[in-house]
Amino acid sequence: MQAILRPRFVAIVLLVAAAATVSSAGRRFYDDDPIARVPERQSAANAKELDIDLFFEYAYNLFVNAERTPSNVRAGNINTIDEVPDSSWFINRIGTTPMTAAQVARGVNSDTPPAPEKWTLLREKSAGTNPGFTARDANGQTWFLQFDAPEFPEGSTGDVEVSTKLYYALGFNQVETFVTTFDPARVEIDPKATVKRPNGKRTPFTQDDIRRVLERSARNADGTYRASAGRLLPGKVIGSFRYQGTRSDDPNDLVPHENRRELRSLRVFGAWTDLVDLKAGNTLDTLVDENGRAIVKHYLQDVGSSLGMANNLHEWDMGWEYYYDGPATKKRLLTFGFALSPWQTVPYVEYPSIGLFEGDEFDPTTWKPQTPVLAYMEMRPDDAFWAARKVMAFTDDLIRAAVHTGQYSNPAAEAHLASVLIKRRDKIGQAYLPAINPIVNPVLRDGGRLTFENAAVAPGFAEAPRSYRAEWFTFDNATGATRSIGHTDSATPAMTAPSLPSGVGTYIEVDLSADSPTHASWAKPVKTYFRLTSGGWKLVGLERLP
Amino acid sequence: MLVAVTLGFASPAIVRAQDAQTASEPASRAALIEQEEQTKADQLKPAEPGKAEAYVSRISDAFLSGQMHWHAFWQNAYSGGGFTVGAGYLTHVSSYNLIDIRGSITPSGYKRLEAQFFAPELFARHGTLSLLGGWREATAVNFFGIGQATHTSSLTNYGFTQPYFAANLTVMPTRQLFVLGGGFEVSQWKQGAGSSDASPSIETAYTPATLPGLGASPVYYHSQGTVAIDSRTSPGYTRRGGYYGVTAHDYTDKDGAFGFDQVDYTAIQHIPLLREAWVLAFRAYAQTTYIKTGQQEPFFMMPSFSGGSDLRAYASWRLRDLNSLLLQGEWRAEVNRFLEMALFYDAGKVAHDRSNLDLHGMKDDYGIGFRFHGAISTPLRIELAKGNEGFVLNFSASQVF
Repeated sequence: MQAILRPRFVAIVLLVAAAATVSSAGRRFYDDDPIARVPERQSAANAKELDIDLFFEYAYNLFVNAERTPSNVRAGNINTIDEVPDSSWFINRIGTTPMTAAQVARGVNSDTPPAPEKWTLLREKSAGTNPGFTARDANGQTWFLQFDAPEFPEGSTGDVEVSTKLYYALGFNQVETFVTTFDPARVEIDPKATVKRPNGKRTPFTQDDIRRVLERSARNADGTYRASAGRLLPGKVIGSFRYQGTRSDDPNDLVPHENRRELRSLRVFGAWTDLVDLKAGNTLDTLVDENGRAIVKHYLQDVGSSLGMANNLHEWDMGWEYYYDGPATKKRLLTFGFALSPWQTVPYVEYPSIGLFEGDEFDPTTWKPQTPVLAYMEMRPDDAFWAARKVMAFTDDLIRAAVHTGQYSNPAAEAHLASVLIKRRDKIGQAYLPAINPIVNPVLRDGGRLTFENAAVAPGFAEAPRSYRAEWFTFDNATGATRSIGHTDSATPAMTAPSLPSGVGTYIEVDLSADSPTHASWAKPVKTYFRLTSGGWKLVGLERLP
Repeated sequence: MLVAVTLGFASPAIVRAQDAQTASEPASRAALIEQEEQTKADQLKPAEPGKAEAYVSRISDAFLSGQMHWHAFWQNAYSGGGFTVGAGYLTHVSSYNLIDIRGSITPSGYKRLEAQFFAPELFARHGTLSLLGGWREATAVNFFGIGQATHTSSLTNYGFTQPYFAANLTVMPTRQLFVLGGGFEVSQWKQGAGSSDASPSIETAYTPATLPGLGASPVYYHSQGTVAIDSRTSPGYTRRGGYYGVTAHDYTDKDGAFGFDQVDYTAIQHIPLLREAWVLAFRAYAQTTYIKTGQQEPFFMMPSFSGGSDLRAYASWRLRDLNSLLLQGEWRAEVNRFLEMALFYDAGKVAHDRSNLDLHGMKDDYGIGFRFHGAISTPLRIELAKGNEGFVLNFSASQVF
């Protein structure tokens, strides 16, 4: 936020934008394009802990960000083929490499779940609404334990498990979490354990402090408690990350977070999973050693405010409205509440372990988190398209595999959750894939055979277009100059190129469009660039929405 | 170099490369990015919040850490005092127990100064204890006469001062729903002349023979007990649940002249409609008095309607008598999480005899209100009420019921 508001920063950005406009010369593609991983070579060892104030963030989001007109600036961390390279923020997984159900179900988890035979309590749980502790298991590992609220048995713990698996597969850094058991009869209090009291002082942890937490937790019939255990992250925690600006003490943090595609895409991923509590406080930056350098690793640390579990029993508006929503406020004020909002009538099939989560009335384009972070506001159609493809990469079986990790005792609840996620997935695909030119995966083979796919037609979200067209150009990588070498048309996503240049190292540009009676936006071409290598034509560039 | 680096912030990598060539030409995309990282590494600054955020953060930290000692105090000495300003100083004397010293004043001279010890976690968090001592003064309390048929033209006013000490213990055996309360208070009411310019002082219109308790200064030993079922989410703000309770009071006059017993009956129910888009809220409240043999109840201790939260279109303390009945209904609409609006209707009646506490001849009003609220409290309530004695605009820092 700070960086965005500084006049000097704004001036520099404008200056640079002007410079970019007048510049026409310069190498467009490097030999290592498209990069698969962002090099993060500088040490961030001097990065210090940063506290981000929750109230300020909420107010800023609700009353500043919500009023912004999106900049329509293209994502800043994409490579030359419109993809997000791996980094300390994001690792390409589903949609890039095939994932099995077992891989999705395993997520980030190792083979060493907590040993619940004995818990030693270290301190209270300081964040989040669900009751819990920080505790050491029988193996001496430190975990953050979180219980279910009495009215939602299995709800929060199941949600954390499922959501963690989904977000890990989507590519985000996640915390290892396991469903475990907490038996009050097998609990010790560490002699040094303390609790922060209302007077601001820390005093020794007592048995009553345990009771205080357990009274607010769902209890099993045998007197134990089901808990979600999150493993202590490696490295040094240096606070949270903002959804805008960059960390001024992290040399590798170059792209304003609101321009990071994976963060913008949380508008789609969040809609899918109903991750309503988008805020800095649910993220975590840690300093970790990588090849002898300290780099900042960024975690989407708490994705548990999702799948209907952020809502208490009487919060139907989550996912539908911001905490403060100006237009909805005016509407209800002027009509004494008679202008109903969708959340007031949408039917829910409620299970205590699932909560308010449905897929029939869900509209991903109108979904809202509690407060609009800037990355959410800045999402463009090409970001949404990229994100929707990630979501669509989850097959029904993969979704069921993730949901099964929630260990719900009621098979009907588990099936319901999976079915809602499947419905919401399809609505996301339907909303975002046909919205812009959906041509993907262009491949130019020896002999000039060009093939590609239509991401909207293949899953059945749109009718096949009447025809596809490819405009072919030579492309001068040094100057950017192009020369037409013809065009080809086809009723199918495959065609043969006209005569192409043959020298290794030469570039061509192929502009791919489609003639669809129902989707005029498909006429805007996807610009693709190929370089001839000794192994054939290699895709080095793709611009869906420049 | 600066241009190339900053362009990398705001533009996609595909564009960024175009300008990179004009600087020292990196050999690869990776080298270009590393160059940008190196440039930033040379310009690192501590990551700190901006001034506005730091300021907000200090305040919120103070709240959350329990170190926010000073607070506003909007409660005036007695209903009808008007706009109130006040402040308090709160400090913990142990992990949970606290002491709050506070005071308030109004332009009309109502004053209140008190200290409270509050223990919120007695009996393994089943009970609370409040010890309250203080002094208050009201300078111009309305008095329209006794009974339902009084007229606004009969308005007089009086004042009083009152030192008090009260201990109240509340126990919730199951931590929710069932409420048992008990309390004991020692206080002295010193009733005197009123200071309002808007109406004559009470002693100019009445004598001790015509108005019981006029000029009296009884010392009361007031004990009370409450049994209730409370399913509201919070007394300060709720959209569902109810409260059904009976409180019995014994006011023993140290001198045996003005002793009486009183029983309060309260029934409150909130009925949410369509996922709390609306709430129908109802309140019935009755007070009945039993004068001790050979004694009187002073006029200033009689059940009455104080104004802002009961008969909202009428002047404060508009009706007084030995018994009272209040019926209220509200239709509340949720505007957003922090604002609700309401249409309301109030009806009230006082009577000398309990048998006359019926629905005939009630004074009533209606109006519209707006409430700025949080999850458990209502910091601001603004209401415009219309009755057969005119309009009244009410401002309050509490929920109506």
